[in-house]
Amino acid sequence: MPKQQSAISSLLLRSSGIIFFLIFWEVSSRMHWIDPYFLPRFSAVITELWNLAEDGTLYSNMIISSARAIGGLAIACVAGLPLGFAFGRWFPATSAVLDPLLRIMSQVNPFLVLLISTLILGLGETTKFAVIAWVSIWPLLFYTMTAVRTIDPLLIKTARSMGISESGLLLKILIPAALPTIFTGLRISAGITFFILVAVEMLNASSGLGWYEHNAAMNFEINGMYAGASVIVLLGFLLNRFFISLERSLFTWRAPVEFLLGGAKTATRLALWRPGRVGIAAATLAIMGLFVGGSFEIVRVNTERANSLAGIDAGKHACHLGSEVDK
Amino acid sequence: MAPHQNPKIEIRNISRTFSHTTVGSDGSREFTALEDITLTVRTGEFLAIVGPSGCGKSTLLDILAGLSPATSGEVLIDGVPVTRPTLNRGIVLQGYSLLAWRTVRKNIEFGLEVKNIPKSERRAISDRYIALVGLTGFEDHYPHELSGGMQQRVALARALAYDPEILLLDEPFAAVDALTRENLQNELLRIWNETGKTIVFVTHSIEEATYLADRVAVLTTNPGTIRQVVDVQLPRPRSEGDIRSTPEFGRIRHSLWNLLQNGGAHA
Repeated sequence: MPKQQSAISSLLLRSSGIIFFLIFWEVSSRMHWIDPYFLPRFSAVITELWNLAEDGTLYSNMIISSARAIGGLAIACVAGLPLGFAFGRWFPATSAVLDPLLRIMSQVNPFLVLLISTLILGLGETTKFAVIAWVSIWPLLFYTMTAVRTIDPLLIKTARSMGISESGLLLKILIPAALPTIFTGLRISAGITFFILVAVEMLNASSGLGWYEHNAAMNFEINGMYAGASVIVLLGFLLNRFFISLERSLFTWRAPVEFLLGGAKTATRLALWRPGRVGIAAATLAIMGLFVGGSFEIVRVNTERANSLAGIDAGKHACHLGSEVDK
Repeated sequence: MAPHQNPKIEIRNISRTFSHTTVGSDGSREFTALEDITLTVRTGEFLAIVGPSGCGKSTLLDILAGLSPATSGEVLIDGVPVTRPTLNRGIVLQGYSLLAWRTVRKNIEFGLEVKNIPKSERRAISDRYIALVGLTGFEDHYPHELSGGMQQRVALARALAYDPEILLLDEPFAAVDALTRENLQNELLRIWNETGKTIVFVTHSIEEATYLADRVAVLTTNPGTIRQVVDVQLPRPRSEGDIRSTPEFGRIRHSLWNLLQNGGAHA
């Protein structure tokens, strides 16, 4: 009991900064310390958030953005993980030759990639997936290569001395030994993906959270802008926590590492989520469902936009696309 | 227990050279790690190999395990040349090399999985070896939760579990403290006594070699050659009484020391 109590009080203590920040936000707007037109009250933003949730805007844009992130990340995994294993273990000479090229490629700014891929692939969804995959493949690839290279050679030697097959070695030694480091790469990739996705949607989309945010700003829907921003920040935070929880529960066999959460004591941490096998399977299904649902929503919204564009072309005089579709 | 006289391992004129290419020099330089090693290990014998660092002890063990090829010469086990690793030799390396993501039990069952032994049998076998190395109650612990000595027991049980006829041990007790080391030595002798394995034990400790082995092969360095094979005619069981303080122990220890001094790194 006292342990639980201290966990709760520690959670309260750790959230006090957030609570203080929100109160300060509310007060500074109410007291006109900052012009409330530019910084609406926190409570007004919450109300707006509620409206957006109610009319489906929030849901639609959230699953669209999720589908894009998941799709891009999945492409990066499918390409990056096998490449990382191949470079890290089976073709060290090739990887040494290609290393400078890979390092330069990884430094290519995603927005340059956006321009080039728009040129080649057009304005559609393919471009977005391509940019996200491009951005998220590098941490995955480099972490996988490092993970595979730094496996204790004695483990491989021991397994070899038992006459293990190459596939057995891969499944029973290489993958489990490399997995924690690969997972760190995946977490970093997911974080970057989310950042870039929002930016790409601002520049080059007619749906998704980034688009919504940009559109709200362009139309001076200030409450909506702050509401969208809050959702983006919260989602990014939850995504990161999701991966940290997943890492913790998957790799319980590791000696406890304290640096992940900046040295907080294990006992006082409240894990958001400690899934077992069932939990992980459920999460995988949910992610797949999110991808499928989001994909359908993208198609639906894009068709709707195309139709309304056709309508504009047919007769109505030019008006701002965003304000037209936002209603 | 007197070893049988028939040979288990025959090492015939083994040499191993490594060539490394140094940047800037023309061509590669050759380094001879082992030169013309000939040695026979009898069935059920406990043979120790001592030598200074860099005398090729570990290389020799790798060749015995089939992990790396000899440049010339051959190794026969039961009359059959060694070409690749098989499960009739179990190897325990310095520094445990346990699989951190597997529990004690799953580590011990690793070789059995490679051998495709069904799960229920694996469990019965791992139970037996967990008990043999005195780790009952720690089956579900992960390696990081164990002390160094306990981890070493797991490594030993893992090599024993798939029931190899030969155990190859490469400085297995080098990483543990002196007291744990003595305990592990006695356990190894007990297990050897119970299982009747043929053991090749590589160590840099003269004392350890004397205490454990039937015979001690002394290797000299650069290139690694066998200087002499010394018979250790101390009574068994050696864990009874303080055999390390007997004059005979001291005499053997001293002669090994002399052999290493005159043929070792200082020569």
